[in-house]
Amino acid sequence: MSSFPLQRPAQAAGLDSRTISRAKLGDIDAFTAIVEAYHARCVRFARAMLRNPDEAEDMVQETFVRLYRALPRYEERQRFESWLFQILGNCCRTANTAFQRQSSRTTHDDEAVERMASSDDPAAQFDHEWSEAVRRALAEVPEYNREIFLLHYVEGFSYEEVERMTGVKQSALKMRVKRASDQLRTRLSEERR
Amino acid sequence: MTDAERDPVLRRALEELRRVPPPDVEAMRRVVAAAAAARVTPFDAEPGILSPRRGRSIRLWVVVGVAAASAFVGFALRGAWTARTRVTPTFASSETVADSTNPTLRQVVGSEPDAPPIPKQFVFNSSQAHRVSVVGDFNSWNPANAPMSRSPDGELWSVTIPIAPGRHMYAFMVDDSLFTLDPGAPNARDPDLGTKGSIVIVGRP
Repeated sequence: MSSFPLQRPAQAAGLDSRTISRAKLGDIDAFTAIVEAYHARCVRFARAMLRNPDEAEDMVQETFVRLYRALPRYEERQRFESWLFQILGNCCRTANTAFQRQSSRTTHDDEAVERMASSDDPAAQFDHEWSEAVRRALAEVPEYNREIFLLHYVEGFSYEEVERMTGVKQSALKMRVKRASDQLRTRLSEERR
Repeated sequence: MTDAERDPVLRRALEELRRVPPPDVEAMRRVVAAAAAARVTPFDAEPGILSPRRGRSIRLWVVVGVAAASAFVGFALRGAWTARTRVTPTFASSETVADSTNPTLRQVVGSEPDAPPIPKQFVFNSSQAHRVSVVGDFNSWNPANAPMSRSPDGELWSVTIPIAPGRHMYAFMVDDSLFTLDPGAPNARDPDLGTKGSIVIVGRP
C-alpha cells in the first residue's frame, strides 16, 4: 500500500523567503506571488471548514487582506504558511459563528440534492455523491476537531506545528484528530451501506 | 503509517479532501486588489515599514493642521460676513471649491457624472519614490491613468487631471506597489472594501 504523500505546504507553494520579505515591504508583485501560491489551498481549507462553503472565497479574500495588512509585523522565524492558516482558521471560525446565528443547514442540503440530481454522467454522479458524503460527514465533526484534522491530514502540518499554531498540546491534538477520524470513518461507513 | 492511512474509507475521504480546486485567476485578482487597497501607509501606523519617513510626516501634519485651521477661520469669518449657507471644504487642497448655495446631498456626497470635469491638481511629497501615480474612483484605480511628474528639485510629484464635481476617494500609488493615503486630505473607509482612502471634494467653478 502506498503511503499518503502529505503535501508539504512550503514545497507546494514554491516560495522563497525573499518573496515574503519583498511582500513585507509592500511589493504588490511579491504579494501576488503569495496569493497565487496559496489561494487554491486556502479555498480548499475554507470550504471544508465553513458551515456555508459558499462563503469560502470571501473568507479567503478576508484572510489575504488581513495578512497583507499584518505583513510588516510578520516575524520570519515563524513559518509563513502556519501564520497564514492561523489567520484563515480564525476567519472561518468567526464566519461559522455568524452563520450559526442566522441560518440552518437545511438550505444547503437541499441545494446539494438539487446538484446531485442534475448530473447525467453516472461516474461523475458517483464522484459527486462521494464528495457530498465526505462533506456532510466532515460537517458533523465538531469544529475544534475538524480544524485540527484538516491542518494535520489535509494541509500537512506536523503536530508540532499545529501545537505552535493553536497552543493545544500535542497529546490533546492527537486525541482530537483520532476522534475526528473515528467519527468520519463511522459516518462514511454508514453512507456506503 | 497512521491509522488514517491504514483505513480504506478514511483514505478515500482524504483523497477527496486533498483535491485542490482549480486556480481561479479572477478571484486571485480580486484578492490582490482588495489587499492593495487595504494597505494604508505610511500614516496609518503599520509599524516597521516606513518608520524613517515618520519625521517628515509629522512636519507635514503640522503644516497641514495650520493650513486647515487658517482655512477654517477664514471660511467662518467669511460665512458670518455674508450670512449665506456654504459648503466648507475640510481638506487641504490646491483646488478652490466654489460657493454653492443650497447644496444638495448629491453635490456634497456623490459625484456628478453629467457635470463638466474640473481640473484638480494632486501633489505628493517624496524624494525617495521612483514613480508615483494618483489612483481613485475617477480613474478606475488604475496607476497607468494618472502618472505624476517630478519637480526639478526632486521633492514634489504632481499631476492635474479633470474630475467630475463631487466627492471622490483616492490615494497615491508609490513605486507601483505602495498604496499611500494623502497626508494633506481627510480619509474615510471605502464602503465597498471597508478600507481607507483619501477624500477630495471637487467643487464647481
